[in-house]
Amino acid sequence: MRPMTLATENPPGAAEPAARRRARGSLRGLTLLLGVAVSLLAVGWCVTVGTSGATLADVWHAVRLSVFGGVLTAEFEQTFTIITNLRLPRALLAFAAGAALSLAGVVMQGLLRNPLVSPFTLGVSPAAAFGASLAILATGGAAGSASWLVVGSALAAALAVSALVLGLASARSMSTATLLLLGIALTQLFEAMTSALQFVANENTLQAIVRWTFGSVNDATWREVQIVGAVTLLLLPVLLWFAKDLNAVAFAGDDAAKSLGVNVTALRVGLIVLAVLLASVVVSFCGVIGFVGLVGPHIARLVIGADHRFLLPFSFLTGGLLLLVADTIGRTVLAPSVIPVGIVVAFIGAPVFINLILTRRAAAR
Amino acid sequence: MSLEVAGVEFGYRRHSVLEGIDLTVAEGAFCALLGPNGSGKSTLTKILARILTPRTGTVRFAGRDLLRIPRREHAKTVSYVPQSSEAPFELTVREAVLLGRTPHIGLLPTARDWDVVEAAIDQLGLAELRHRHLSELSGGQAQRVLIARALAQEPRVLLLDEPTSALDLRYQIETLRIVRTITRERGVTALIAIHDLNHAAHFCDQAVLLHGGRIVADGPPAEAFDAETLGRVYGLEVRVERSGDTVDVRPAELGGAPGADRPEPLGRP
Repeated sequence: MRPMTLATENPPGAAEPAARRRARGSLRGLTLLLGVAVSLLAVGWCVTVGTSGATLADVWHAVRLSVFGGVLTAEFEQTFTIITNLRLPRALLAFAAGAALSLAGVVMQGLLRNPLVSPFTLGVSPAAAFGASLAILATGGAAGSASWLVVGSALAAALAVSALVLGLASARSMSTATLLLLGIALTQLFEAMTSALQFVANENTLQAIVRWTFGSVNDATWREVQIVGAVTLLLLPVLLWFAKDLNAVAFAGDDAAKSLGVNVTALRVGLIVLAVLLASVVVSFCGVIGFVGLVGPHIARLVIGADHRFLLPFSFLTGGLLLLVADTIGRTVLAPSVIPVGIVVAFIGAPVFINLILTRRAAAR
Repeated sequence: MSLEVAGVEFGYRRHSVLEGIDLTVAEGAFCALLGPNGSGKSTLTKILARILTPRTGTVRFAGRDLLRIPRREHAKTVSYVPQSSEAPFELTVREAVLLGRTPHIGLLPTARDWDVVEAAIDQLGLAELRHRHLSELSGGQAQRVLIARALAQEPRVLLLDEPTSALDLRYQIETLRIVRTITRERGVTALIAIHDLNHAAHFCDQAVLLHGGRIVADGPPAEAFDAETLGRVYGLEVRVERSGDTVDVRPAELGGAPGADRPEPLGRP
């Protein structure tokens, strides 16, 4: 079989020079690097906000001390404690949770070919919250939010709902409107069921459940940071590996993706499980935080384009930054009271969501 | 190295769509799959593209059964042009054509992948539009992007599923001319599901007429088209006018040139 080589019958000047082509690719690479730098700085800066007298240099000093060790002077001890025990885990948990939700959003949007879906709008997050509440109630509030029983229960509920929604969505090739309505119905259902649990719960349990439904990173611990961070950082390269297949499904549709050599059914099942895993891990530690999975990818797409090879890592950053900034606003704007980050993000997210609905091209249905 | 379809059957539950399709298309030939709506021509195209899985049957090409090799290997040999495609995300022409490299690339496209993409873009006259978004293109331009994507796969077999149905006359002719050029210049075997008998007769080397999931005529258009068969298949009286190698089909009630092959009316008392 002779290989088909495409003749170079370009009209002179029509083809883009290879150098410029490479420049375009590296421009997006550069944007990505810039995003990483901004994210690191933002984490440092958010740690200093509200910490009396702490500077970026102090944060760096504290990080260096805890990683490499060194002499902790008496006058730095208080700042060091605040930074390493309170501020830094909180900032990192906010960033990791935002990144995870945003990644989950990108994957769901790509697979369903629909920029309006996210773990929250499909009812996955409310379902996870219900699962978690059920576990909290069953253990009489004895299990803390970070217990494996709660996490497992949240995950099971989230997987069950996503299997239902996404199964229906692909079996009936639903329109955007139908899919979102289904998500609304499930959200209502699970919120009602969570309310019912609250109704029968005693004082202690009730408090634990309510913490969930708000969605916050208050009382973040290093253990939570480790788990959410590890899951997110481990899954990012896995998702990146499937980026080109995700591109084929998202841009060309199921049929064409099959003809492009993608095993669509396996890809769909596998990636949905990963996306739901990301979303439910966050929900089980931080509660229901809406809109990040929607707004994070949207901002990323505006900056770096729709190609999932770049969109996935960039959404990781935008989602993380969004939640980090929202949490910093939440704990400063009415200081000393702290507004749960879920509430702040809804104030940012809802208008963006409405704008997205109103400005969508008619062609995209 | 011809494409050999043998014993392909397909159905949904009890409803049978294709009943034993046997078909041979020579290498580099341009073959038209014709027939009324529901005759199975689109289904056959989708089976060859591995979008649908038949109950039984084989599709042999270059010594392999295309239905049983790994999906990715299949995509390096066979490419598929859908009727239309809507992308819910903003995508440039280059990015859309790059999708055709999916079976060939690992994580990131190489310089050679980009060269193939650019060549396909140039071949279809999309050079000026390469950085445009798909949403800004006309129907005919969008169709050419889909063909460029299929070419970027570097296929040996090109499948087109009613690519001309939504296009105006100019783009219909243009699309067919492009595909014929590809078969002539590169020896790519092309199969097209198409409605217009006269376009098929003019551009294609082989015409295959399907009816109720069976092949009822197969051969060069001038031989395959006959008034009686066409009349039966479409349920409409037609005239077939031949002159030399060319053949012209038109519904009887629209009138025809004198001396035409005029059949007895069928299915009428």
